[in-house]
Amino acid sequence: MESKDVLVVGSGISGVASALELANAGVSVYLIEKEAVIGGHSASFCCKATDICSKCSACVVSDKIKEAVIHPQITLLTNSTIKGLGGELGNFHVEIIQQPRYVDEERCIACGLCTEICPTDPKAIYPPFAEATPFSYILDKGRCLRFKGERCDLCRGSCPTKAIGFELKSKERELNVGAIIVATGFDVFDAREKGSLGYGRYPNVLTGLDLEQIFTREGYLRLPTNGKEPRNIAFIQCVGSRDEGHGYCSQVCCKYAMKLAGLIKYQNPDTQVAIFYIDLQTTGKGFAQFYEKYKESVRFVRGVPVEILQTISGELEVRFEDISQGKVCRDNFDLVVLSVGISPGKNSWDLARILGINLADDGFFDKKDSLSCNETNVDGIFLAGTCQGPKDIPDSIAHGIAAASKAMQMLAKSASRRRGN
Amino acid sequence: MEPKIGVFLCNCGGAINNIDFDAAVKKVAKFPGVTCVNLSSDLCLEKGREKMISCIRGENIERVVVAACSPEFQEHIFRKVLEKAGLNDHLLSMANIREQCSWTHDGDVTEKAVELVKMAVNRVRLLQPMEKKELPVNREVLVVGGGFSASNTVLQLSRVGLRTTLLEKEAVLGAGTEELESFYGFDTGSMISAVEVDKNIEVLTSAQMTEVGGKIGDFSVRIRQEGGEILRKYGAIVLATGHQTELALDSEPQLRAEDEAISGLNIVSQEQFCCMLGNSGLETEPKTIGFMFDFSDENSRFTTLATLNNALAAKKKWGSEIYVFCKNVKVDSEGMEKLYREARDCGVVFLKSEAPPRITAENGRVKIEAKDVFLGEDVILACDVLVAEELYLPAEGAENLSSLLSIRRDSKGFFQDENVHLYPVGSEKKGIFFIGGCRGDLDLGRVLTDISSVVMKVHELLSSGKILVELEKVKADPQKCVACLTCIRVCPHGAIQLVRVDGSKEVAEISDLACDACGICAAICPAKAIKFQGYRDEEILAQIEAIQEL
Repeated sequence: MESKDVLVVGSGISGVASALELANAGVSVYLIEKEAVIGGHSASFCCKATDICSKCSACVVSDKIKEAVIHPQITLLTNSTIKGLGGELGNFHVEIIQQPRYVDEERCIACGLCTEICPTDPKAIYPPFAEATPFSYILDKGRCLRFKGERCDLCRGSCPTKAIGFELKSKERELNVGAIIVATGFDVFDAREKGSLGYGRYPNVLTGLDLEQIFTREGYLRLPTNGKEPRNIAFIQCVGSRDEGHGYCSQVCCKYAMKLAGLIKYQNPDTQVAIFYIDLQTTGKGFAQFYEKYKESVRFVRGVPVEILQTISGELEVRFEDISQGKVCRDNFDLVVLSVGISPGKNSWDLARILGINLADDGFFDKKDSLSCNETNVDGIFLAGTCQGPKDIPDSIAHGIAAASKAMQMLAKSASRRRGN
Repeated sequence: MEPKIGVFLCNCGGAINNIDFDAAVKKVAKFPGVTCVNLSSDLCLEKGREKMISCIRGENIERVVVAACSPEFQEHIFRKVLEKAGLNDHLLSMANIREQCSWTHDGDVTEKAVELVKMAVNRVRLLQPMEKKELPVNREVLVVGGGFSASNTVLQLSRVGLRTTLLEKEAVLGAGTEELESFYGFDTGSMISAVEVDKNIEVLTSAQMTEVGGKIGDFSVRIRQEGGEILRKYGAIVLATGHQTELALDSEPQLRAEDEAISGLNIVSQEQFCCMLGNSGLETEPKTIGFMFDFSDENSRFTTLATLNNALAAKKKWGSEIYVFCKNVKVDSEGMEKLYREARDCGVVFLKSEAPPRITAENGRVKIEAKDVFLGEDVILACDVLVAEELYLPAEGAENLSSLLSIRRDSKGFFQDENVHLYPVGSEKKGIFFIGGCRGDLDLGRVLTDISSVVMKVHELLSSGKILVELEKVKADPQKCVACLTCIRVCPHGAIQLVRVDGSKEVAEISDLACDACGICAAICPAKAIKFQGYRDEEILAQIEAIQEL
């Protein structure tokens, strides 16, 4: 059957932007998300404001998500993935598989009684991260005694709204939609792949994402090893960008590293911060001024270190080439932050196979041609956000809106063609 | 007459356990105007909501206070409940007795909870209903510009069924797109012929805006053409006036001193270099070519792209030695890193230095001196042609357009977006958008994204021919207004104008369509004539009084 509904795959900021635009234009939208909460990566980023806003855009995400959740035109399916696809533009049939979430998001009032009473350690039922939507508690099957065959029923008994149910089974359903927007986002580069930088081995080597989450959770930065305030921090750029396996610039790392450095300097001006880089990407509105502001107080070093070692005292020895002296130097830092880049999603290959869309040689979904920004090789399937290539939050939002625009234009065109026939 | 206030307390299924709800209910019931107090444990769930609706209807309640969780969490649900019960959804005030009371303190907090409820009761008494109304809008769109992005925009707008006028100041469409075409390998010609045959598109060439009035949905634009002036009405305006480049040499003091020596040399712009590449009858092919970028202008995405493309083309055509002087290579757009690698693989040499190179003349050739950071040494190069650094600037006329439309520009002269986080293509005036080079240094991918997202936004605003707005969110009292014009000056959205009332007095009037409810005018009005619904002084003072009384 012909359908004017649109399926948006992935509920990160670009998927949410697409869904909202279409919904506001009166289109019925299915928004599916493989995780239990919507928002993707961007929902977990921290505010990087100092005494003034640093325009990192992390704050706009939660509002957008909330808007999408309460929009009457958007049907939200969490814990869901695509299993199969049939049909064509104007009449796609999508098989969806939805895993049960065991906690009814409509009924959960986030009172916390279940977590309090849960006997496991760590708890098997817990709240999602602070800005999560829906803010419904999450039951971890792996930890829950019930799923290990025991008869524990404490959380269900304590729940005042009877939101918990263990018997739920995964559901399959078929959606009939006119167009599909793929907004599956990216995976953060796994810094363990760069073994010489010591991530995963040395506790004081963190990634940019770790730092984001520390600031979201705690609001300030402490050393993972001893809880003391770091005095001397190094940021290393282009970890997982512009190297052998990644023939592209991730576009966000210079900006987030500088903004995080600004935030650290604001919280404690005595902290020493160094940023090791290849080329600083100081493009975009107002960013050159931002660089000017921190040029003096932050040490910018051209060249990217190749090795980090931990000394006996627990400090991190960073080996790099000091270009001004023309020799290899060793500097000690107590914290090293790896500015990890944007990698294509690990599940892209599966999704590309199911949907029949092409992958580009860098692993992101491929556009139809150089003059299209959202179209794929399949009519009626569009790309939004970082699944097509690295983008920052505003670019992802704009790209999501553009995908909605293209989907709407194509549906309008196919409808008028049918009327003509 | 005192409105009937209903208070709904919720203990959140037992999650609020340090408030004595029975005592609280008794105290709240005594507040003036409160006609009924309900205690519930699941107010936000279906059962609780239904009970709330029947209570509002049964007791003829006119205003509602909900004392429960944070309004961030469930306020939208309670607003819907009011609507369903037949009340205006603005007659609701919430007291956050969970996150800001029960969960923040240890021990009994009944007293604080009662205070919070009292504040909400005092506020809700003064709240005023807000009506919604659909206002008509003009469905035609004006697109200014005649290049790639303007043509692409009108075609996409036509596809969603909107009629457009394309306003170009030159005599023909597609002027100045040759450079882009050669870099990206597309054909603007076919796009322009599609524009010319499209029935939804009207093309006005050699035409310029001379006057713009009105607001979103109803802009009146005076257009000057060769034949004379016409007055047209539009619902929205899209600017796609593009960029221009300028040689950065003029801004460098050491060069100006040696101008005379330099004038005879082969220092060219990227565009001139493009022409040299296209010219097959060149007398001597340049053996050594120098390029420069990213010293004077941080916004060098476009010049980087031009350099890489031109350097590769020159390498392929002439096999020249090519040296590129730069500070940082800006590769933060699609495909740029690949292009950069390709150029290096072809033998193009990149020399990075912090300070701009010194340019002098030597035996009729251009001498470039720079301190390369990697070698740590001064590099001296004599080249046959220097492709000088270019500044990326908004096209001529941007200043004029910004004052015509009263929209702001940034420090470099590009149009300034209203919200850098959310929506970079919208101006602070609703219904005015900008695309591509006139808003900043963008690559093709970003320009294409701009175009489609503007099409979506314009479609959303105009397609139905009407916009649903809340009436009088912000209102100026004609009795108090002294027409001092302060609000008109500060309003970033151009939503306020003076109108004549009662035949003589002129007062400020705020357009519901153009107003963004930012509240600046209400805060600044010296006569306190402007009221922002829900945040009026009375409402705030009444809340403060509530805690003073207790």
